[in-house]
Amino acid sequence: MEPTALEDMTMHQVLANLVEDSRAMMALLITKEGTVIEEAGDTSMLNTTAMAALIAGMFSATREVARMVGEKQFSILLQQGEQRHIHISLVTDSTMMVIVFEDYKIIGRVRLKARQYGEHLIAGLSRQQRNRSEKDEVPVSQFKEYALNLIDQIFTANEK
Amino acid sequence: MPYINYENKEISFKIVYYGPGMSGKTTNLVYIHKMLSDEIKGDLITLDTEEERTLFFDFFPLDLGNIAGYRVRFNMYTIPGQIYYEASRRLMLEGADGVVFVADSSPIRFDYNIMSYQMMEDNLRSYDLNPREFPSVLQYNKRDLSEAIELGSLESELGIGTDSTLGAVATQGEGVMETIRMMSKMVIEQFEL
Repeated sequence: MEPTALEDMTMHQVLANLVEDSRAMMALLITKEGTVIEEAGDTSMLNTTAMAALIAGMFSATREVARMVGEKQFSILLQQGEQRHIHISLVTDSTMMVIVFEDYKIIGRVRLKARQYGEHLIAGLSRQQRNRSEKDEVPVSQFKEYALNLIDQIFTANEK
Repeated sequence: MPYINYENKEISFKIVYYGPGMSGKTTNLVYIHKMLSDEIKGDLITLDTEEERTLFFDFFPLDLGNIAGYRVRFNMYTIPGQIYYEASRRLMLEGADGVVFVADSSPIRFDYNIMSYQMMEDNLRSYDLNPREFPSVLQYNKRDLSEAIELGSLESELGIGTDSTLGAVATQGEGVMETIRMMSKMVIEQFEL
């Protein structure tokens, strides 16, 4: 079977290839509000939901610092630890990529691959919007009815 | 506007607890987290200073389950109340779908409540949101104080409506679930594509 071309890959596949190619442990694609869009690699050792929320907050704080020194934003953040390191980069104005890796010597490779695969992720994100078919549309009125019922069930139990 | 992931069929809403320092925002969140069953909630993350007051934010995700083919999640945040954390407070409102304002019913905190509410309105405006149309609930916390301010007094001062106001004693859980229920419903009712 022919290998899938990068431009035909799902965002998960792109992210998985990035992890393999950069020799990182794992990668996340998150929104600037802190929601995980995709994850790949070995994420079993951490809580990706909480991590996304914290990194989004961290990135926002850094953006404010950037503004203080006359920059619109810093596009890359690097956190160096003793055994594990994190490379965070902006993919679009509203999404960022988080790569966790162990060997600091591969930092150059991580940066390069982040940039290369970042372009495919941008293409993937815009394709996702473009290819949204009617069946994907959220049935709003039905959605609201079910959601309101669920909210009653969840928040009424144990009420004081 | 919630984040919708069409590929993975997920919708994420963001709810933020706002208010002056020590008004009980974290207490609200901790109580809600305690009351929910383990299957639908994620870990509660709290980032505290040494004085145990919120420096950055508290957070936990709540999984509402599958609705009309989409996995729905509420991400719940608090903001730091202290005056000197203005920058991080504004940041936490970015992308919010609804805000619960936790006011302190103590008479000596009246001004702080007003100042904090006005700051919240400014913060929302900075994201091009109209605070008067944005889903929000005003919770008067600490109703067990002997000289609690009157319900409605903050709205009169602020010139806002009283439709979504509640009293609470968050340390005892009173009014906490009612507040989040009202907030969640407002957020869902405002949802559109």
